[in-house]
Amino acid sequence: MPSNPGREWSLTELAAEAGMPARTIRFYIARGLLDGPLHAGRGATYGSRHLERLRRISELRNQGLTLAEISVALGIRRQTGLAAPETWWQYRIGEDVMVSLRAGMSPWRVKQITTLLERLVREQREGKETSQDDA
Amino acid sequence: MTHSAVQFAPLDRETGQEVELAMQRLWLTGRLMPVGARLLVRHIFRSAEPEPLEVIYAFGLPRDAALRRFFISGEGFSVHSELRPVAEAVEAYERGVAGGSLSALAREYADGIVNLTVGNIRPGETVAVELEILAGVELHDGGLRFRFPFTLAPGYHRQARGVELSPGTGEMQLPESEFGDVILPQWKAGANGLHEIGFDLAVSMATSISEIGSPSHPVRVTSEEATQWRVRLATARDLPDRDLILDVKTSGSSAVLAETGESGRITFAAVVPSTQFGRSVDSPRRVVFVLDRSGSMQGAPIEQARRAVEACLGALSDQDRFGIVAFDNQIESLAPGLIPADHDGRERARRFLAGVEARGGTELAAGVATAAAMLAGGTGDLFVVTDGQVFGTEAILETARAAGARLHCLGIGSASQDRFLTLLARQTAGVSRFVTPGEAVDMAALDLFASAGRPVAAGVRCTVEGIVEPAPPKSVFAGTPLLVFGQVEKADGVALHIAWDGGQTTLGLPPCPPRGDFIYLLQGSRLVADLEARGQVQEECLEELSRTYGLASRRMALVAVVKREGDRPGETPATCVVPVGMPRDTAFHVYFSRARVTSRVARQVCLMAPVMEMEIDDRPLFRRAPRRRLPRTADPLIELAQRMEPDGGMPGAGNRDRAAATVLALLCFLAKGHSLSAGPFRLHMVRLVAYLESVASALPKRERSLVKTVLLAARAGKPLPGDWLQLQPSEVWHAIELGAAQGNSISPT
Repeated sequence: MPSNPGREWSLTELAAEAGMPARTIRFYIARGLLDGPLHAGRGATYGSRHLERLRRISELRNQGLTLAEISVALGIRRQTGLAAPETWWQYRIGEDVMVSLRAGMSPWRVKQITTLLERLVREQREGKETSQDDA
Repeated sequence: MTHSAVQFAPLDRETGQEVELAMQRLWLTGRLMPVGARLLVRHIFRSAEPEPLEVIYAFGLPRDAALRRFFISGEGFSVHSELRPVAEAVEAYERGVAGGSLSALAREYADGIVNLTVGNIRPGETVAVELEILAGVELHDGGLRFRFPFTLAPGYHRQARGVELSPGTGEMQLPESEFGDVILPQWKAGANGLHEIGFDLAVSMATSISEIGSPSHPVRVTSEEATQWRVRLATARDLPDRDLILDVKTSGSSAVLAETGESGRITFAAVVPSTQFGRSVDSPRRVVFVLDRSGSMQGAPIEQARRAVEACLGALSDQDRFGIVAFDNQIESLAPGLIPADHDGRERARRFLAGVEARGGTELAAGVATAAAMLAGGTGDLFVVTDGQVFGTEAILETARAAGARLHCLGIGSASQDRFLTLLARQTAGVSRFVTPGEAVDMAALDLFASAGRPVAAGVRCTVEGIVEPAPPKSVFAGTPLLVFGQVEKADGVALHIAWDGGQTTLGLPPCPPRGDFIYLLQGSRLVADLEARGQVQEECLEELSRTYGLASRRMALVAVVKREGDRPGETPATCVVPVGMPRDTAFHVYFSRARVTSRVARQVCLMAPVMEMEIDDRPLFRRAPRRRLPRTADPLIELAQRMEPDGGMPGAGNRDRAAATVLALLCFLAKGHSLSAGPFRLHMVRLVAYLESVASALPKRERSLVKTVLLAARAGKPLPGDWLQLQPSEVWHAIELGAAQGNSISPT
């Protein structure tokens, strides 16, 4: 447990407390390993939860885990009540046609869909009617 | 086949907008000189985020390179960096960021990896950072090769693992204990959609330039004067997935360049071609081939490396002794020690090489240590063939220095650790070459091998009325000029004296050197690179050296803070790491395994990923392009070299047949422009000639006479007319006579 649960730090102070550069902390935030500051915008502050997490990340790194593995080990979930963010890939398959696919699909599914998209692109280029199945 | 750019990019879930590239462009300009390059690398950063952005770009330094300074500019401001001890620079950067100011930090880590970090780029703002870099070049007798990394190659490190975060995106971290807080980029299997790169370089040589070419990029070359050329990327832009390589050919002769600095001190650099020294002494060789069979060598590089070693074996006589060590995570040797290069030894080597497949990591230090032990404390050379894709190079350098053997390095790769292999060879008194898999690697290996074993000058000493620094090499090898840096108080009437065992020469300095600091800075960057390779013990000296020359190093970093109206203190910028392309010719999954990350993690990481762009044609979108396979035998001359017997002759049923085959081989080499003193096959030709001389007296009169003619031609380096590569040995005598009867000049005189 943190020694002072109600304490808040600036990023510079947090970096000193955690014994790591502030840049590394910002990188961990961007990398999804650490939540953003308690108060966004000017006067951003960080709490004991951040410090705990940074110490845990350091421990895991010293054990030789990669950041991706640390992310799994920490069981990171969004705590804002919102659904987990999702990434979508956007395929521009023509001047006026866009298709969006959810990222993180299994490789066989990606292959299946992209094969269909390629056919669509080819047929579109050749000026053929696209069948309902292809669509 | 049709090609059309189809983009698939991560979207912001809230807005549905594409995430834009944080670094949009990297443009290389500057000037190549006979002894190095002064480069200006312009990075264009742009924020499309609604909050301040911090961008981290990681790159590797070229050989013998050091950062000098940078300029950061944007709308209404232009600020140059300050050189400060690393801790101070980091503190200044963080204070700037915390104060809401635009801040930039260029900091070097181990292995010459640099993080250029630009913090607090405002929403919608474009910022340019122009970084000045001093860099060395690979000198050849007839010119130079310049190499600049447009991507950072992933590498093997015992404590690092690569992970595939999402299809075609890989990530790797290096241990903090060795690399501190360095941040590596994410690697993209396809570089389409990443930032664009390009170059426009001036080339100024001391002697007239005959040719400039690039095996890596399409180039447009214009000649302004005989010694002043310009080389640009021929297309509008290119991808960050390989090094730029430029070959500059000049009329090679000794050159002494000098400049007068602000203090009145004169710094000089002398380039003395190896041809000015002498010829190598023909003594028995002791050589160990050290072959990298790590996974990153798979495909063309390992095939080329195997073939190169086989061809080099053809240059050995049965008086020579050799060994072979193949390494990845494990070490395998042909034999515990050196074996004679006789018929049996070669056969064993061929069988051993046939079983060498690319796999595993790159434990180069262990490979070098094993090979050095095979020399058992005696003199000899290690001939290392590797892609150099390895992190933690300083430990390897330490092992190599401790081993006490001379290392000659042939690097193979489209984006590799040229810096490291240069240091590895130089610090062990050897020479290095770096080639791309698209070039004739086996020829480069043969050429290096021919020059590496026996120096053309040993015991080299350089003296001047001043300082010679860094200490020049003790040996000079054929094909590689001697480079000497130094400083003098006055140039008029001052000469550089170079002496070696059995010879000496004197070069005068230009009497009135122009003002300038380029040579001084190059000397400094070379000293910094050498000292950094010496590791922790030299850290204090490194800081002093950095201050003296005004160059960054692992102890001194560059920092700038731009205070502007509207700075918003206390805001945490969003951090973004600029991804780079996997080097061409390196398979993505050699470094990045799929298994370790759940899809949830992959999704989160994808939010940071920049736009990827992929070409669509008739192939599935996610299939990688097939690797280019080499034909089994790229050059018939290589095959001839591989087949040579230990006594220097070609194989055959008896002396007469063997003489015919040997004459034919010699004519083939001659026909392709090789001679006894030049070209990758010069050692082979010397041995063919020696064999023919030894057997000629036992041949019938007709053949003896024809052998004499061919030997005269070989010594004169003059080919005999004929399509020799198409002939069988049994046809060679008649073909020579026929040529004579048809009036072709078979007299080489």
